Formats: sequence, C-alpha cells, structure tokens
Amino acid sequence: MALALAVSAAGGARAEIAPPAPRPLSSLESPPPAPTEKPEPPGTPQDSPAPVAPAAAETPAEPPPPAPVPSAPRPDAAPPPPAAAAPAPMAPPAEFSLSGLPPLQVHAFASQGVIKSTKNNYLVRHSTRGSFELTEAAINFTQQLTDRLRTGLQLFTSQIGGVGDFRVQADWYYIDYRAADWLGIRAGRTKVPFGLYNEINDIDAARVPILLPQAVYPLLSRDLLLAQTGIELYGYLNLDRGGGLEYRGYGGTLYAPPPTPTAGTTVTDFSIPYTAGGRLMWETPLEGLRLGGSYLRLRANAAATITPTDPAMSSTMLSQRLVFDLWMASAEYARDDLLLAAEFGRWVGRLDTTTQPAMQASTVSTIEETDTRYYGMAAYRLARWLMPGVYYGGLFHDRAGLVGRQRHQHDIAATLRFDVNSFWIFKLEGHYMLGTGDLTGDLNGGATTDTLADRWFVFLAKTTAYF
Amino acid sequence: MPTSPSRSTNRRPASARLAAGVVVVALALVAFTTGLAALGSAQAASPAFHVIVNPANPATQVERAFVAQAFLKKVRRWPDGQTILPVDLTRDSAVRRQWSLDLLGRSVDAVKNYWQQLIFAGRDLPPPELPSESDVVTYVLHNPGAIGYVSGAAPLRGAKVLGFQ
Repeated sequence: MALALAVSAAGGARAEIAPPAPRPLSSLESPPPAPTEKPEPPGTPQDSPAPVAPAAAETPAEPPPPAPVPSAPRPDAAPPPPAAAAPAPMAPPAEFSLSGLPPLQVHAFASQGVIKSTKNNYLVRHSTRGSFELTEAAINFTQQLTDRLRTGLQLFTSQIGGVGDFRVQADWYYIDYRAADWLGIRAGRTKVPFGLYNEINDIDAARVPILLPQAVYPLLSRDLLLAQTGIELYGYLNLDRGGGLEYRGYGGTLYAPPPTPTAGTTVTDFSIPYTAGGRLMWETPLEGLRLGGSYLRLRANAAATITPTDPAMSSTMLSQRLVFDLWMASAEYARDDLLLAAEFGRWVGRLDTTTQPAMQASTVSTIEETDTRYYGMAAYRLARWLMPGVYYGGLFHDRAGLVGRQRHQHDIAATLRFDVNSFWIFKLEGHYMLGTGDLTGDLNGGATTDTLADRWFVFLAKTTAYF
Repeated sequence: MPTSPSRSTNRRPASARLAAGVVVVALALVAFTTGLAALGSAQAASPAFHVIVNPANPATQVERAFVAQAFLKKVRRWPDGQTILPVDLTRDSAVRRQWSLDLLGRSVDAVKNYWQQLIFAGRDLPPPELPSESDVVTYVLHNPGAIGYVSGAAPLRGAKVLGFQ
C-alpha cells in the first residue's frame, strides 16, 4: 500500500511498478471498496521509501499514463484506499507492453484500388485502359512514454501511378511533448496541417471519398504537401461558451525527389530550404461546426544544365527559385451522421529562372501563377455499413499564356462507402470531369493539356483493411 | 387435472372465440402499454447514463462541452492539473451509442472515423474501450484522473457521479 501511495505522491514513482502479466478481463477481481474512510494524504513520509526506478527518478513530476485496464488488487496486499491510492495498472490482454511502460499501440492499413478513365490518363499512367496502380499500405507504432510525452512512427509504401514505386518510407515520426492543453511541441517528421483533410490524404479509411477533391488535395503533390521535417507547436484553448480554438504552427524542410528532367537537361541541384505555415481552427458554439484557415509557404531551389544536341554549341546553366504561398479557408459541419465540408483556397506560385548561356550575360525571367481552388462536399451515413457522399471541386489557373480548357478543371464526384465490418471497407466512386487543368502531359504521352479531351469520366473502386 | 375436452365434442361457438380473442388482444395491449409506462417511469427515474469520475477527483460539475473535449482528447487536464483519462465502452454498446449522440454530437461510427484520422495522422490515440460497465467503474475507481460513463442503472460502487451542464 505504501507503494501505491508513493505513486500519487511522487508522480513518476508509478514507473517503477512493473505491470503484472496481462490477464483477461474476466479475471479482474472486485474493485476497491467504496470510499468509507478519508484517504491518506499523498506524500506522507511512510509512502516515500518505495523503490524508484530510473525512469521515475528522471521524471519525478511526470507519471506515465496508466494502462487502459486496471489491475486487480494483489492478494498479498491490503485493500487500497479508494481515492488517492492508485493500484498498479495492467495491460489489456491484446496489447504489447514493454516493461514498465504502457502498451505499445500498433495500427495498420492496406488499400488496393483500381481506376479507369474514359479519356485522358489521370493520376496513373494507363488509367484509360484501367490500372491497379492505386496501392497504399502503412503500419504505425505509438508509445506513450509519460502522460505528456509520446513517440511514434509510421512506415508507408505506395504506388500511385509513377509516384511511390513501393518504396518504404517513414511517413511520420515524432517526439511529442504536451506541456499543457494550450501548448505542445512535436519534433520530427509530421503531417502538415493544411485545410481540413491534408493529413489524411493517403488514408482511405479515414474519409468517405476514394479521392479527396484533387483541386485542394492533389495526390500527386503528396511529397510536397503531406509532411515536413522540423518542429511543430500546437495547442487547444477551451473558450467555454465560445467553443474551442485549435492552433498549429510548424517550420522545417522536406525531402522531395528532384523534378524529372526533360531530354538534354541534367538537374545538378535541388533543395527545399524551408517550409513553414500554420492552421487555426475555431470550433464554434454551434456543435459540430468548425471554421478555420491555413497557410503554407514553401521555397525550392533547383539548378540544371541544358546540353544542346548540337555538340558545337555550349551548355546553358539554369537556376530556378520557386516560392509557393498557399492559403485555405475551411468550414466543416459534422453532426450525428452528417458531414458537410467546404474549402476555398488561393495558391500563388512564383518561379524566377536565371539563364546563363556560356560566354553571355545572364537573363532572369519570372512566371507567376495564382490558382483558385475550392470544393463543397456532403456525406451522410444511411446505415452502419453504408455512407454515400458527393462533392464538387474546381480549380482555375491564372497564368499568362494559359487559355481554354487547360485553365480549369471541374470535378463532380459521387461515392458509396461500404463498411463491411469494423476492419474492412469497400468503395465505389464516379467522377465527371470538365477541363484538363489538373492533367499532366507526362501521363499522356507528352501531349499538351490543351489538346486533351475536355469532358471525361473517371471510375474507381477501392478496398481497405485496417485496424 | 382435468383433461382437455375434445374439439369435436365440446367446440366453443364462434362468438365465444371472438370474444376470447378480443380479451386476449385487450390484455396484451394493456400489458404492452403498462410495460411501456413502467419503462418510461423507469427511464425517468434513472437517467440514460451517468458520467463518473474517481472519488478523489475534486470536480463536481463541469461543462458538457468540457466532457466532450475530454473524450475527444482535445483537453487533457482537469482544472487541478491531473491528466484526464477517458474510458469508453465498446462500440456495440447501446449506452455508448446514446452517449456518443448526446454528448459528442456524433454517431459512434463518426467518432470512430474521427479517431482513424488522428491515429493515421500520428496525432493521438483513442481512449481505451472496455467491454462492460463494471469494467468502466473499476477503471475509474483505480485511476484518479479517469472519467467514464455508465447507464443510469449501473452499480457505481463508490464512483462519483459528475454533474454537467
């Protein structure tokens, strides 16, 4: 009993209590008796001699959180006082626990999809003839080290057309210290909080549509938008009758593959010096309604050498500086089984290119583009196993020299999500597309986007198992 | 014990059978409505669920929004600084379904989707799910910062009922 009281008094002393071997819930004995006497105040001298484990000694003021399932009282111990004395917690049967730590949480998913477009290759190389290049899988491990400190890692592999190529990479990893509700800090590679759903753009189980509106969450830009390596500060303020305020700010860099060079071009350098941004989300007093805004700034540098086909001509040095400023306004209403979401964004890109032909003066050219991107989405769970959803998304490129169908793309989509059981979902989705603004020539035999079909359909099916 | 009369020799007239049928139906209706009334009064007597905390928790009343934020792990600390340890019932629990709609404003499946987003974004983990109300009470009694919910009729065994507005 002295041990249990020391737990409450010394905080971290709980760490030295090794969780007993996992036992089935049915073996739980009776809980402690109802409080019939005043509990001993914690921290009394007779409580302190309990052995202190190294971890506890290092973090005396910060106990690890208890395991989810409480332990039964030990037969050789006196019944614990009901309030201040917390008996040693134990791990639930199905979880893996390192000695002295709460259970390690493991979650994973595997997704396989198929995509077919009536015209134009979209997202993958051969969508017009049907493609299974729509694969994602991940496994993550999360360990709560103390009640304020957590660490985690997710390994991810994918094949979305030519992106991913089944390389296994660390999707995120972090050390997270939450000092208080209003302030936490995370270091490592973390998902970028941009808009409502950027963090789950590659997690099929966490959303209704197979493809989130690509105008706002472009799958093929995953490497640039999904995660950053650096620091994140975050917090949550309870505004009482005013709702709640969630805020996140981050800064770091990211490691993206260099752009694919065209024939005769050699990329000699590619780097992203920084990416930074933040998101502010207000949970309004109207339950289920949240409103917010996001900002992201990204800078990239590239250098290349252009070698002419005529060996008599000299090479040209090219250096580029690219700056993106992305803004997004978001609104979501999630109440009961209804989900409504809408977002509107302006993405501004500026590309400065310095050309240095041999033996000539350098020239600088600038290209600026402003994209307007938005969508509105609705979904409603009709039954536990069925949730249909629809959305309309649009994007407009505003750039000098860009005309016609390549300036825009409208996307009207409808989805059926079937939850076969708690671990398995199946989805069907259809899109009607107008415009070619989100297509690339790379996936379409090098054709320019103004020559691609203006009106086309995309159909997808996808299944995901997760736990 | 008297033997049953033979149908052929002692057949009741149609009017009697009709009257008996009416009586049976009437009795069934009375029983049904009485049962409903009793159920209604029972529900009125005990709320759909209790929010319970450890007896050591000094809180006696909190905002309803605070409870929801605690179960969604948006707030992690009690006003006295203690770590909040929410605990759920399993998803097939009727109490949890009611709790989810009333307190969180979302269905159990919607809340599950919320946690899927956080799990795979590396943001947080859901509260533990325990299979019975008795386990929830036990958990709350063993963890000073715990908060759980049980049906109004569940034995509390000393767990403190938290009022909320």
